[in-house]
Amino acid sequence: MASSRPRLRVLDFGTVSPLRSQTLWHALGYGETGSAATLSFARPQSPYVCLGLHRNAEELDSVAVDRYQLPVYRRMVGGGPVYLDPDQLFFQISLPVSQVPPRRSQALAELLAPAVRALVRLGVPAVLDEHGEISVDGRKVCGHGAGQIEDTVLVVGNLITGFDHERAAAVLRVSSPATRAEVLRLMRRYVAATPVDPNAWRQAMVEEYAAQLGADTLPGRLDTDEQAAVHRLDALFTSAEWLQGTPRPAKPVRTIKIRAGVWVHEWDHPDACTVLSIADGKVDNVLVEPRGDRTPTPALTSLVGAAVDDARTALSAAATAPLAAALAATQPGQVSA
Amino acid sequence: MTSENTLHNDELLVAGFPVRSDRYYDRDNHVWLLPMPDGRVRIGLDALNVETTGTLAGLGFLPVGSVLRRGGTYGSLEAAKYVGPLLTPISGIFAAGNEAVLAEPGLVTADPYGAGWLAELEPTDFDAELPLLLHTEAELRSWFSATVTDYRSRGLIAE
Repeated sequence: MASSRPRLRVLDFGTVSPLRSQTLWHALGYGETGSAATLSFARPQSPYVCLGLHRNAEELDSVAVDRYQLPVYRRMVGGGPVYLDPDQLFFQISLPVSQVPPRRSQALAELLAPAVRALVRLGVPAVLDEHGEISVDGRKVCGHGAGQIEDTVLVVGNLITGFDHERAAAVLRVSSPATRAEVLRLMRRYVAATPVDPNAWRQAMVEEYAAQLGADTLPGRLDTDEQAAVHRLDALFTSAEWLQGTPRPAKPVRTIKIRAGVWVHEWDHPDACTVLSIADGKVDNVLVEPRGDRTPTPALTSLVGAAVDDARTALSAAATAPLAAALAATQPGQVSA
Repeated sequence: MTSENTLHNDELLVAGFPVRSDRYYDRDNHVWLLPMPDGRVRIGLDALNVETTGTLAGLGFLPVGSVLRRGGTYGSLEAAKYVGPLLTPISGIFAAGNEAVLAEPGLVTADPYGAGWLAELEPTDFDAELPLLLHTEAELRSWFSATVTDYRSRGLIAE
């Protein structure tokens, strides 16, 4: 007698081109399989850069991107610009929107919980931390994003088995070498690799997601509609218009997220380039590079160690209001950016 | 008659959430619609939608002139790295996106019924579709309080 339990379709795309490492799983939103939950895996065969749906292409350092010969694609889910390479194993869980809690933070927590448990099974003491990141001892070990395509919710992540901090920092546009050095310093501190066995991880993921959904697993393949969608998405993702995205007003302060709760703010203004980084709810570092013979005021380095709210208050005067506004948008607990 | 829970003109407090009674609501998507003097309709998210969405990080809109059917997508909204569709409560031509929320998405959270409006449409089937939306104070109170109770029972929002 056939089981009445729901099915979890499992797809392993294997090692694929950078483009297909995006378009294959996006196509899951366009399938006829509709009601089936799907867990899929892919690994890009070479490095590339990927932009979140709502991010400006100008956030990338085009010189570095060209130097490393990195393709750039824009995904349909959230998050910032990221450097991706074969040392990152991608996973995607997709579900009909009707089966996902309407509160987004809760949906993410529920749909990332099996990924955390899979790591724990492999001996990695991972947690879904208070910022919504999968981390070990405060260091992010797995990126993620989510989106709704048609009537399907997709939560996607990448297990970082090796991480090229230098390239990840190099592809982000900044005004000053000091900013890039600060980004790199914090990336090294807060983004870490987890060198687990890929096959064991994949098996643990399948079992944990099946348990979470109360489902029987079923190896599968893309259906006809999904295959057609892959070809449409290939064309879309390689079009200049899609890559450019919707123009957005530039902000006076450039904010780079290292991981949720850890930010580098760069304020490039006529007197100086000011770099202010936030970690653990406090100002972690302040760097001020004066322009020419100008003297930047006020002295900001005294803010190091201050709580974010106190720093924001101290910066609220007109002369530094842009920095205060940037801090307000990246308060502790803020997970989006 | 003015309810004892009425905060000021047109604003009700239902189960702890503000609801503006001067506009129409899509019960499924928690989206409001306000007819404008020039014949357009303005749309935005209600307070419960804002609460469950979380801190906004970004939005995007379809091009002006896009033809929309009721329930269709006119843009996207990102919170917690989660991108979801913006759904129109009425059919129409996409006339304008709110440039202010593109620049500062936090406006939607801070003032969902005012400065945080999202878009304006030129409706194409207004008379037929408007009755599908909720509007009377009794309808709004019943619908909104039932949804809040449901969400609280499921742990989706705080007690």
